[in-house]
Amino acid sequence: MNVRSIVVVAGAMLATACVASDQASDMAPVANNVAEDVGKALYGKHCLTCHQADGYGVPNLQPAIVGGTWVGGDPRALAMFVLTGGFDSASRKDGESHNVMPAFARLSDEDLAGILTFIRRKFGMGASPVNRADVAEARTNLPQPQ
Amino acid sequence: MRTKYFARVVSMAGVMGVAAGTAVAATAPSVDGLTLPAGFTATVVHEGAGAGRHLAIRDNGDLYLASRNGLVALRDKNGDFTADEVTPFGDVKGTEVRIFEGYLYASDNVGVYRYKLDPDGLVPNGAKETVVSEFPPERQHADKTFALDEKGTLYVNVGAPSNSCQQKDREAGSLGRNPCPILENYGGVWVFDGKKLGQKPADGRRFATGMRNAVALEWNSGQKALYSAIHGRDGLDTLFPALYDAVDNATRTAEEFHQIVDGGDYGWPYAFWDLKLNARIVAPEYGGDSKKTAEKGKYSDPLVAFPAHWAPNDLVFNSGRSFPKKYRDGAFIAFHGSWNRAPEPQAGYKVVFQPLKDGKPSGKYEVFADGFAGELADNNPRNARYRPVGLAVHPDGSLYVVDSQKGRIWRIAPK
Repeated sequence: MNVRSIVVVAGAMLATACVASDQASDMAPVANNVAEDVGKALYGKHCLTCHQADGYGVPNLQPAIVGGTWVGGDPRALAMFVLTGGFDSASRKDGESHNVMPAFARLSDEDLAGILTFIRRKFGMGASPVNRADVAEARTNLPQPQ
Repeated sequence: MRTKYFARVVSMAGVMGVAAGTAVAATAPSVDGLTLPAGFTATVVHEGAGAGRHLAIRDNGDLYLASRNGLVALRDKNGDFTADEVTPFGDVKGTEVRIFEGYLYASDNVGVYRYKLDPDGLVPNGAKETVVSEFPPERQHADKTFALDEKGTLYVNVGAPSNSCQQKDREAGSLGRNPCPILENYGGVWVFDGKKLGQKPADGRRFATGMRNAVALEWNSGQKALYSAIHGRDGLDTLFPALYDAVDNATRTAEEFHQIVDGGDYGWPYAFWDLKLNARIVAPEYGGDSKKTAEKGKYSDPLVAFPAHWAPNDLVFNSGRSFPKKYRDGAFIAFHGSWNRAPEPQAGYKVVFQPLKDGKPSGKYEVFADGFAGELADNNPRNARYRPVGLAVHPDGSLYVVDSQKGRIWRIAPK
């Protein structure tokens, strides 16, 4: 599956599964303050240089994530986006950003859930937290390398 | 919370200045909060015609601005050094613009073009001619800045569409491709015949290599030599967290100023100039351990190693008569300012003067014009009031500076 296909799949998930976040998991959501703090620290380590502390990115280089459709949308689509990265210029919609986002599949489900919970709270207009199970499910659905 | 980073940036620059063998801050306040050395003043030539990049000035004083929105011609009709006539023209949206033998040369991400200048008119009235076309349409480091020598040799910066030639660009731990295949067609300067139309990239010759993105590229007519200030690599800490932290990333990778010689290799992606060790060290993607030095003599040492991520975006040699003598043989460099120092305070956003004698540094660099960014709210470059991106020397010897946020243009001259 190529990157364009990933976008299509993830986009379809975004369109059809927007309300499923809170009931999707039998695990405690990573929504408590401790996890969110961890997420904030991890955002600082892995994401901040490009997307900046305020989430507005850098004009022409990296897109803003504040209020973004992906950030505030379906958590599993967001998790898939971050796990795969690699949105190249042909598939990106932002039209202005020069740099490619790398894949973050090397991070644990828990760390990613913390980061995503943090950015949804801070930049996603208060969108629901992301569970470890959401990330785990997205990970099992990742396209295999060609 | 809005954090006042400005003071921290200034103080950090001062500390770094000592470490890098530099110093001298700009002092006297001027228009728009700019600070300049005593004896100079800045005036606004134009309030801004879009996302400005570089600027060319004709012998009669007409200005030609390259911008992301297209070319703009500006004329001062009453001699007060403000633009009275401002006319967008053509369809070239890019960074570089230069005047050579009656033609206006301009580039975008995929080609270099020229327009024949009208002997009297401000706006060229001829058709666009294509000098070189069909550079691959990359997104990263794609601006085809260029320089021309007296013979019309065209030197084109073909930036590398990559940070450090990793197998997976900007992915933590991903090792470098070895040899880096990007260098076959990018990451250096290619030469073409600037007077010949219809050339393709394959018609060019690789002049120099190992240059990640040489946006600031200039022919020094006094020395008959090409110079560049090159953008160094990003992401030491995010890509190799076991070897580097955020402070290392924000302070160790130099923006390197070089004379660019035929056949020269300036190290990217295999090695970079480390400001902490004052040595060229092996990049972590290629087996570097944060200390291992590159093979001696393989890559040129920089003439000047500027602080990390300041983003040198233009370079001019001041041959003007109106500046004090010490400035006449030296270089002015516009530093667009960092994004990639975060979470450490951003830095750059200034115009620096590097004294030169016979084309070699003859003293420490000095901050010439500062104060462009103002308070950098949230430490994000998008909140900079202005960002210096382009420089040009007016026939009367004054220095013109272009901003990228609004396309504002200033004239800096002795009082």
